[in-house]
Amino acid sequence: MNTSMNNNMANGGAGSLLRRIQAEDFALYEVALYLDAYPTNKKALAFYEEHRARLAELKEEYRQKYGPLTIYDNVGSNEWQWVKGPWPWEREAN
Amino acid sequence: MWIYDKKLQYPVKIKTPNANYAKIIISQLGGPDGELAASQRYLHQRYSMPYDKVKGILTDVGTEELAHLEMIAAILYQLTKGLSPEEMKRAGMDIYFVDHTAGLYPIAASGVPFDMKYVGVKGDVIADLNEDLAAEQKARVTYDNILRMVDDPDVRDPIKYLRQRELVHYQRFGDALRIAQDNLDSKNFYAYNPSFDK
Repeated sequence: MNTSMNNNMANGGAGSLLRRIQAEDFALYEVALYLDAYPTNKKALAFYEEHRARLAELKEEYRQKYGPLTIYDNVGSNEWQWVKGPWPWEREAN
Repeated sequence: MWIYDKKLQYPVKIKTPNANYAKIIISQLGGPDGELAASQRYLHQRYSMPYDKVKGILTDVGTEELAHLEMIAAILYQLTKGLSPEEMKRAGMDIYFVDHTAGLYPIAASGVPFDMKYVGVKGDVIADLNEDLAAEQKARVTYDNILRMVDDPDVRDPIKYLRQRELVHYQRFGDALRIAQDNLDSKNFYAYNPSFDK
């Protein structure tokens, strides 16, 4: 974890923002799995709402600053930034 | 990572179950040129692909193949829904039913279970992209053969859509091959693996 955090600092802003997105995404996914089995649990639903909003904000910030995370959110009409590397499986992307 | 979208890429709405159709269409689930093989072929090839645009094409076509796998599954589910063991037997699907009941298990129409041998990953740009071009044509032929044997318009409609997508993917892999060749050494066009033979 420390090593990857250091690398990520070396990457600058994109790396640290991506780490926060991954953390929020994981929190949201974890509670979603729980909600699949307990769909009326108030505490889990409140947790979901809170993190869903935060994740949406972080993803929008990432999209504006560094480009799309999915094919549905390419930024601007001058270039298809989607194909720009590094791709997620490459060391430089992590 | 992937996100599941809770919708089909194209609608599947079959009014009349038909085990005979399911028996042949299952080849596009787990057969040699089926959608499971297609998705795994492209999504595994992309790691050794050196060009960003081609990594994008493999990722996006591979992802669409997962959506096609789901459409084929929906077709098979609707074609077998509510059929009695007797009706399955009449269509010769008793030999499937005995092991899988009405569950969806990826096999070829011949009964051979899905095999990763259907998936070519050579780790070589030219070899892999030519594999993909051939794979799209082979899948197109399988859909043509299905259309030769299926009359129900409810089934033909999504099958025709899937057939059309094979043609589009063939075009995109043509682009991918051109992009790759533009990056290769023109004096050593066919024998050159840019990941190793610098």
